[in-house]
Amino acid sequence: MLTELILTPDPIVIPASPAEALDRAGSGAIITFLGVVRGQENGEPISGLEYTAFEAMARHQFELLFHSAGERWPITAIRLIHRLGWVPAGEPSLWVEVASPHRGEAFAACQWVIDEMKRVVPIWKKVRTA
Amino acid sequence: MQINVHFWSYFADIAGTRDLALQLPEATTVGEAMALIYQRFPTLETARKSTLIAVGVDYASADQALKDGEELSLFPPVQGG
Repeated sequence: MLTELILTPDPIVIPASPAEALDRAGSGAIITFLGVVRGQENGEPISGLEYTAFEAMARHQFELLFHSAGERWPITAIRLIHRLGWVPAGEPSLWVEVASPHRGEAFAACQWVIDEMKRVVPIWKKVRTA
Repeated sequence: MQINVHFWSYFADIAGTRDLALQLPEATTVGEAMALIYQRFPTLETARKSTLIAVGVDYASADQALKDGEELSLFPPVQGG
């Protein structure tokens, strides 16, 4: 299984997809997800979110998640980019790509990785109002 | 033995510090260390139920024995994405 994790303060550059490696791995489905900072929180306008992380642990927990996802579904690749630091409203903070032989497991694994990330990966966000 | 305690996210604001060195008897458990930390920072105890605890880069249990030089991290619920 190909895995790639990028935690970056820079704007997310969506990788060209699918990578050549995915084609060779026999992937029949590639799901990509883009999470974007909403312009409002609880009905109030915001200017963006400030993300902080316990980065060493975040990397380790993401690796554990990727490994677990690979045990649960026949995934051929997971690539994930999470932006840290200041992210203005309207810009992406998260990009996830999951590849597998069939679409069902790719959808399920993508959803699961994001759900688990929100439970165990030490990243926090602080709202900045306009 | 000495362990290093790290407060992450707004826990650092509550504690008034990001890092703290604690001198502890050998084989002190995570739970025992937490009791000492709560004595020193009573405000943190109000968030006890939602507090996440790690030793190094792995989540820890209360009965886990600490070793000299280990890093104990305390933080609020995570919010990635």
